[in-house]
Amino acid sequence: MLLIDGADAPYWNGLADGALMLPRCEACGTWLWPASDRCGSCGSIQVAWIERAMTGTIFSWTRTWHRFGFTEALDLPFVSIVATVDDCDIRLLGRLDDPDQLDPQIGEAISGRIGSTRVENRDIPTIIWSRNA
Amino acid sequence: MTPLYGSTAVAGIGVRQYKRGTSPLPERGVLTQAVIDACADAGFDPADVDGFVSYGDDHNEPVRLMSDLGTRELKWSSMVWGGGGGGIAGAFGLAAAAIISGQASAVIVFRALVEGSSGRLSAAVMAHHLNDHMLAAGIVAPAQVCAIRANRMYEHHGVSRAVAEELVRASYYHGSRNPDAVAYGRELDLDAMRNSRWIAEPFRLFDCSRENDGAGAFLMVSAERARDLKKPPVYLLGCANGAEKGWGDLLENDDEALYPTAGFRPIARRLYADTGLSPADIDVVQLYENFSAQGVASLIDHGFCTYENVAEVIRFDNLIAPTGKLPANTGGGNFAQGFIHGIGTAIEAVKQLRGESANPVPDAKIGLLAGGPGAPTVSSAIFGNIVP
Ligand SMILES: [Zn+2]
Repeated sequence: MLLIDGADAPYWNGLADGALMLPRCEACGTWLWPASDRCGSCGSIQVAWIERAMTGTIFSWTRTWHRFGFTEALDLPFVSIVATVDDCDIRLLGRLDDPDQLDPQIGEAISGRIGSTRVENRDIPTIIWSRNA
Repeated sequence: MTPLYGSTAVAGIGVRQYKRGTSPLPERGVLTQAVIDACADAGFDPADVDGFVSYGDDHNEPVRLMSDLGTRELKWSSMVWGGGGGGIAGAFGLAAAAIISGQASAVIVFRALVEGSSGRLSAAVMAHHLNDHMLAAGIVAPAQVCAIRANRMYEHHGVSRAVAEELVRASYYHGSRNPDAVAYGRELDLDAMRNSRWIAEPFRLFDCSRENDGAGAFLMVSAERARDLKKPPVYLLGCANGAEKGWGDLLENDDEALYPTAGFRPIARRLYADTGLSPADIDVVQLYENFSAQGVASLIDHGFCTYENVAEVIRFDNLIAPTGKLPANTGGGNFAQGFIHGIGTAIEAVKQLRGESANPVPDAKIGLLAGGPGAPTVSSAIFGNIVP
């Protein structure tokens, strides 16, 4: 899948430019994720991409110990999370820094920075989250 | 009552199962044997099969089976959408739809999986779902997808992790007593299970199903025709397939209340409403458990227990035949009987209602087949050896 392809292209281009951009229906204000071309709530096709801060909370998590294919560039174990982004209803998949292997807590406040994940020959922009100090 | 209720039946079953990587035949050859077995089981000429249904992106397009089977005419060839095992029970509903509507009269429901032909199932399932959001997060396997949901169920909804162990133990108990199971003759070593290596927290190795090579096939015909065949009919009483708003392929943005479920709330609702049956009417459950926590979530979704009383219901003693009140995975389930994309759970559902199970449930009349949990599209079916 090409990064610049599909309804979520502005998300990937935003990360490449250093910003978290997320889609919201211009007509009724519903956040649309996965990104879509039509708001299922009101039928509008006017989608606005809005910048959000890279702050949020942990919705859920897993720590992976098994070497699955496509994760070769990640040191084991690594923590993947679902993060609820502040000030919008969207949850994002991402990774969490895990220096001390402390189990993440659901609801814990986190902040993100933009990094990347090497998969085969590509570097995919990735939000790397850390627990707030 | 739904038109599905008791109008079609499974008349024959066939299954060939091998350790992963050891199938003596390529995938299509194994599948052909399973279909022939199912027809022989029913005393039915395989050339008269005129329809085929599969699920989970099976690679064996039915038209390619015609030469080996001697098929006279192919009238129905279809597949339930979805890359995981969510469509397994829905496949029976699709076969019944073909028969009831007169578009076919003898339909084989099948699934075949041989690693040398189709590669690893886990990789195939993920190829169906993978996108850059998942790859960037290092989420590349069904175990991880289900692990994230499981942690939410355990931590946020207060389900005790110990419950999953009860389910795993019940599967292995039954498997150890089933000569057709990979775990036959081996008691589960509890220490080994509890200390098995982490895969993706909260799952250790023993929380995960492991793949086998093989194929399973079911011959479905009208209830009337089934009564004239060799084996006692196992009637399809109801089937539901799908997803409700707030559940699906949503990049983890499912409705918050649905998120830790296995996706079966609307399925169970429809299944019970369509059949007039309730969880209390179910004598035995065959539960597709890809991962332990999803098996627990499936039992909750199907109304056998709640977040609050789950620990009282999902107990080893309660789950085992012949004495438990909720006998589950009496063949050993995906964990211990074997895993050909769940087809063994459906085989056991039929065997149990024919009295052919290695772990018979006394006087079992109604069985639930709970399909692959946690998939974007899921399905379940109720079978009976009577039409109540
Ligand atoms: Zn809208």
